[in-house]
Amino acid sequence: MTAPTARHAELLPRQRSRNTYWLSSAGFVAPAVLLAAVVLYLPFLYTTYISFTEYNGLGDPEWVGLENYVDMFTDPGLVNSLVNTLYWVAGTLILPVGLGLMIAVLSHGLPNATLFRLPFLIPYAISGVAVGVIWSFILQTNGALSQVVGFFGVDAPRWLLDSPLNTFVMIVASTWQGAGVNALLFGIGLQSIPKEPLEAARVDGASGFTLFRTMTWPMLTPLTTVVVGLSIVGSLKTFDIVWGMTKGGPGGASETLALTMFKETFQSNQYGLGAAVAVFLTVVTVAASIIYLRRQLAPGRSA
Amino acid sequence: MTAATPVVRRPRTSPGVVVRQVVLAILGVIWLVPVYLLLANASKRPEVFGEYSVWQPGDLGGLLSNMADAWGRGRLSLGTLSTALYAIASPALAVLVGAAAGFSIVALRLRRGFFWFVLIFTSTVFPLQMILMPLFIGYASTGLYNTRTGMILVYTVISVPFSAFVMRNFFSGIAHHVFEAAVVDGASPWRIFWRIYLPMSGPALVAIFILQATFIWNDLLLGLTLSQSETVRPVIAALSALQSTYGGSAMSTVLAGGLLVSLPTVVLFLATQRAFTRGLSLGQF
Repeated sequence: MTAPTARHAELLPRQRSRNTYWLSSAGFVAPAVLLAAVVLYLPFLYTTYISFTEYNGLGDPEWVGLENYVDMFTDPGLVNSLVNTLYWVAGTLILPVGLGLMIAVLSHGLPNATLFRLPFLIPYAISGVAVGVIWSFILQTNGALSQVVGFFGVDAPRWLLDSPLNTFVMIVASTWQGAGVNALLFGIGLQSIPKEPLEAARVDGASGFTLFRTMTWPMLTPLTTVVVGLSIVGSLKTFDIVWGMTKGGPGGASETLALTMFKETFQSNQYGLGAAVAVFLTVVTVAASIIYLRRQLAPGRSA
Repeated sequence: MTAATPVVRRPRTSPGVVVRQVVLAILGVIWLVPVYLLLANASKRPEVFGEYSVWQPGDLGGLLSNMADAWGRGRLSLGTLSTALYAIASPALAVLVGAAAGFSIVALRLRRGFFWFVLIFTSTVFPLQMILMPLFIGYASTGLYNTRTGMILVYTVISVPFSAFVMRNFFSGIAHHVFEAAVVDGASPWRIFWRIYLPMSGPALVAIFILQATFIWNDLLLGLTLSQSETVRPVIAALSALQSTYGGSAMSTVLAGGLLVSLPTVVLFLATQRAFTRGLSLGQF
């Protein structure tokens, strides 16, 4: 806008195109905007509204204010889901992210690195339900894991029946599925780190863990932010694996908030309460997303 | 590069490399144990299932007959065909819609383009739980519930934001002179989009398609919520039902079903690992 006059001539075509193509530009963006508005934003607003009402799917929603939200933080079952969801978030940050980083660092620069990473990547393409089918079998009474534990002389616990153990073993199952993709992402990050500073540090005598802690890790920070953000968001939404292994049971002991929302809405017809859980989940998810969205939508990358 | 580096590094890093390889190999074997258990037990015939240890494998004939069982009696067949349709049609549509949005924002310099972009993209941030119930009600009242059209529609919309995100980033890398030159030659925006921008973006389009096809194939939540009948219900929801019905009595059938349902995405992923990785990095950076 404030360009000197000499460059004014250069800017002209740009100015003109903005005026000439307003109709076509609106036409090209319209399908995406309309689809998002009707199928995503409109339902989004309706759920927010329903969360302040009591509604069973029949008749008219009845306004109850914050009652559903109060229920959510006082009902023992819902508080249990909240706690389980927190286990999932913490567990996901420790296991799949930690192991993913470890696999990426160990395999970085190795000959045949792709081959060494392959076993971790296979489970990633499998659906959560299929992961649940496999791990339910491994964890069944006298199943494979119980036999392994028994081999070391330990009495096997009831993996999927006792809480919170069932949540922890499901986090392990989800680690089996998800560590590979984190390794892949960290691998991409490691490849983008410039070689010269690392070589310089090596010449100065840094090696092994010191080299990693003082040089590699700080340079990996932008990518770590993205992986951590994605992991938090993903773990908050945990549904498929739990549905495939315990369906939230026994008696709701291993439910996550995502499962509670589904059950309250579609099994108990408590639309209002289900909506309140969804809204709460959304607020937390959006807060966590800001961690990595700030980077994804950074101004330097705008068109 | 491959010729030069080992010569320099070998004397210094060799023990470290061996240790790293051993640690990775041990971890990798642990990671493959569940895959082995799946194959070993999906291949045991149901009538002799209890007579074997879980660590002993069955045979190929058993695997095939169990798969046939899951496909036929377990009723995975109809769902598989529908899911294949969803996983091909929806990402194809989403890639076009997303590319059109990216083209509008980057090449046509849509006014307040960044605002519209954020509007489209942000919708991927909130969890699906936020839209399930209204979609269920809306689908029920418009007759879209339990129809293939309804499933294709919802999977398309879910895939659009990611596609728009990647395509906008990708188009930003194409010099605007390309567009201006085409305008000088008298091409319309419509023609420039189809004849110049889309053909240039093959790799990005393929990467988005593969990622979204995998996501749709593996979806459970939308399938559970918006469909019911065996012909419309996606295959993962069908697997979940199979697990509930057969879980106690015919474990080998359930495991064979799990294997059957996982094969397409695993094969697709292994065959297109580079495009898959490119899609991931296009999405994150």
